[in-house]
Amino acid sequence: MKDRHITDILEGAPFASLSEDELKTVRAHADACADCRRAYDAARVASLLVKEGAAATFEPSPFFQTRVLAALRERQAANAPFSFARLWKTAGALVGSMAASVALLAGLTFLAPAPTSGEPAASDVASVSSPSTAEDVILNQDDATDDQISYGQVLTAIYDEDEGDVR
Amino acid sequence: MELARRATHDESAFAEIVRRYSPRVFRTASRFFRRREQVEEVAQEVFLKAFTQLENFEGRGSLEGWLTRIATNTCLNLLRTAKRRPETMISELTEDEGAWLDEHAADALTEQSRSSVEDKLVAADLAERLLANLSPDDRLVLTLVDGEETPVKEVAQMTGWSESKVKVQAFRARRRMRAALEKLLARSGRRRSSGGSLESAG
Repeated sequence: MKDRHITDILEGAPFASLSEDELKTVRAHADACADCRRAYDAARVASLLVKEGAAATFEPSPFFQTRVLAALRERQAANAPFSFARLWKTAGALVGSMAASVALLAGLTFLAPAPTSGEPAASDVASVSSPSTAEDVILNQDDATDDQISYGQVLTAIYDEDEGDVR
Repeated sequence: MELARRATHDESAFAEIVRRYSPRVFRTASRFFRRREQVEEVAQEVFLKAFTQLENFEGRGSLEGWLTRIATNTCLNLLRTAKRRPETMISELTEDEGAWLDEHAADALTEQSRSSVEDKLVAADLAERLLANLSPDDRLVLTLVDGEETPVKEVAQMTGWSESKVKVQAFRARRRMRAALEKLLARSGRRRSSGGSLESAG
């Protein structure tokens, strides 16, 4: 019962706030009781340690304010509400490329002139206007004028091609 | 109140709040954490949280008190969710810590002997090891009431607990702290001989 009384005094209030009378009572009891002396010693040292622990504090660094403001801006940007601008920022490239593709296809479909039935195809016209092989030149010689190509040029083209085949 | 209202839309006003109250928030966070990086991290989180809640600040109490309460709750929640460290073992005590215990357990007027910077550092580290073994609530109440001699009423306001709860929590925290230290002193084998008189030491 006495032990109980001592520990109640030790634990009922901060050790540093115990009155001199209370401390005398505790010490007197502790002198005669090993358990109570251990409790007294532990309470006293614990009080010292807690005070030392409480005294050890940190001060903010000079950059702390800047750091908090930067973190705030970052968090605000991350939590910004849904908006067209934000959507555009994230999906702008994709949407842009899709729109360009659609415009190109529409242009090719509706704006390019379709070939009529009486006229030769564009590829035919190109091959006639610019003969590149000897056969083309001979087959189309009626259409070609004399000042456009000479007989010698035709022969040269034929021989060059034959030599190429032999090699 | 005016500063708080302005800070909801004016960054410079919020910067002023950070500048003015960061020492207080750091002091609060230092009660729970011993590493500077941790304290700084927590303090930053406190201000970011405060910014989002500034509109709810009604100005009934001081802005400093309101921020301290946010800081206290933030630290308590962080420690509650964190994994508790295993109990301090006597084998983990450094030589300096053992010597500190030896000296102070034997000295009834210990205040006179703790003057050197090294002594204070050893004590602060040892205190941290012991406090880390307590629950966050025990740690807080012990640091505030016994360490900083904060009135019970103020602790109640800070934590949102009733005054009775603060007193009961403090009572239990002292008991746990004392029990842990008793165990430590008994294991260390550094305690003074049992024949010494406390009266003569005092």
